[in-house]
Amino acid sequence: MVARRSRFLVAGTVLAAALVLATPGAGARRRVADTAVGVGAREFHLAAYRASAPAGVVRFNLTNYGQDAHDLVVRDRSGRTLGRTGRVRSGARATLALRLRPGTYRLVCDLSNHEALGMRTTIRVTR
Amino acid sequence: MRRLFWRAGFGATPAEARRWARAGKAATLRFVVDGPPGGARLRGPAPRVGGHQLDPLNVWGHDVLWWLDRMVRTTYPLQEKLTLFWHDHFATSDQDTPLMLAQNRMLRRRALGSFRALLGDVTRDPAMQLFLSLADSTKDAPNENYARELMELFTLGSGYTEQDVREAARALTGFSSTWGERGLVSIDYRADQHDDGVKTLLGRRGRLGVDDVLDLVTAHRNHAPFLVSKLWSFFVATPPSVRTVRALSATYRSSGLQIKPVVRAILAHPALYTRLDAPDLVKCPVVYVAGALRTTGSYITQDYPTWMLQTMGQLPFAPPSVAGWDWGPAWMSSNSMRQRFALGNYVVNYGRPRVHRGSAPATLTAKQALDRAWRAVGEPQVSAATRAALLHLAARFFDDLDPRWRDTAGWRGEALQLTLRHLLLTCPDAQLH
Repeated sequence: MVARRSRFLVAGTVLAAALVLATPGAGARRRVADTAVGVGAREFHLAAYRASAPAGVVRFNLTNYGQDAHDLVVRDRSGRTLGRTGRVRSGARATLALRLRPGTYRLVCDLSNHEALGMRTTIRVTR
Repeated sequence: MRRLFWRAGFGATPAEARRWARAGKAATLRFVVDGPPGGARLRGPAPRVGGHQLDPLNVWGHDVLWWLDRMVRTTYPLQEKLTLFWHDHFATSDQDTPLMLAQNRMLRRRALGSFRALLGDVTRDPAMQLFLSLADSTKDAPNENYARELMELFTLGSGYTEQDVREAARALTGFSSTWGERGLVSIDYRADQHDDGVKTLLGRRGRLGVDDVLDLVTAHRNHAPFLVSKLWSFFVATPPSVRTVRALSATYRSSGLQIKPVVRAILAHPALYTRLDAPDLVKCPVVYVAGALRTTGSYITQDYPTWMLQTMGQLPFAPPSVAGWDWGPAWMSSNSMRQRFALGNYVVNYGRPRVHRGSAPATLTAKQALDRAWRAVGEPQVSAATRAALLHLAARFFDDLDPRWRDTAGWRGEALQLTLRHLLLTCPDAQLH
């Protein structure tokens, strides 16, 4: 029998919301509309529902569909961490908002060995 | 006519009510069941939240608003109502938004057609496959989740054994998922992962495969009564008689397991039209919210409805379990009712029934004030008791005001309109259809 879990969600379960200015200074003064990127996490896959987003504030809306806790970490090409959610428990959600320049960014879950098991994807940020 | 439009959809606007009252029952039934020529369309302004178009894939709650908007603006409400029925019947949750939206489109496409075709698509649907672990169920490790729910919840209810579940699980093996950088790539059938041995299922022996299982469960003697009874309960509050179940089952079987003829028969049944003055079916939260917007000529302009639906206990795309939601009086918890009142606030503040300054002088009689409010909220059905209570309220609303000031107390007249409209949208009559 499948577990008939009572599920979900929302208002009280948003664990983290952070705005990290990766490009402080000029970029911070430019008015650019946010772009939302839905991200689904489960054992052991990470799916970004957009392959690309325009430069500016990118709002990653993470939902943990898995059984275990996961997180979302965004890194630039050099491997520098630009922002992270906290641990997101099963069925919960978190938002991570970052101001991103054009380039390719890596999204991973860095809990335990989840990244190595497959919880990684990329997103391209365009001009 | 109002009863039919509520049960088969999300209520009638005053214009629809007048038009179809003139057309008669048979013509109205044809329109409601078959939909407009050329198929469903969306009419009215597209939804915008915060000035932006919806982004159902990427913004939480916009998937719900996207579907709710279809219920509000569709020209074929029965299609959306049946999509809701199948979403509950084949309850799926905890899957990536793109998969859930794809499943929703499939349920809509199949909503009124062949049940066997619908079942085939559901069985191969990626969201369902992942939810009930049919994907990656192999000959070496067959997973019984889908086989069990297929018989218990989707097609039979009873009349099968644990051995049937195990044998069906073997026959359903072979689906394999492929994942990539963007999540699920595909679910494919791989013959080398399928158990091609001999199985015995529901009395039939052979090298059974996926479609054999679906054919056997839908040919089982319990299937038709099970499904028509569940469909009946979606539309009619009183349980069907044995004779009714027999007749609906015969309609279903003789049509080749088509859904539309059964729904047509239910919607034409006299039991649906008993006690027209006393509605007895509780509106589920989705119907309550979509109906309040649709019948008042309001549209999606805020994201509040998503969060209200969650608190009311029916957030689409997130049923509480594979068994779907608990229906009926369970919808009327104290917390849910509080949110239904909050929805009334939303509609009278952001929807078409909002009260404009200078539109309702305090000099109106109680009857004039109530009639104006009633028209503003889409001329809903109101019982004599509710009408008397509202008239009493309107008649006493200015008791604290010196009669000489009523000419200039427009704001009090507007407050009365706001109160009456809110109460008409949230009173006990508004919770039933």
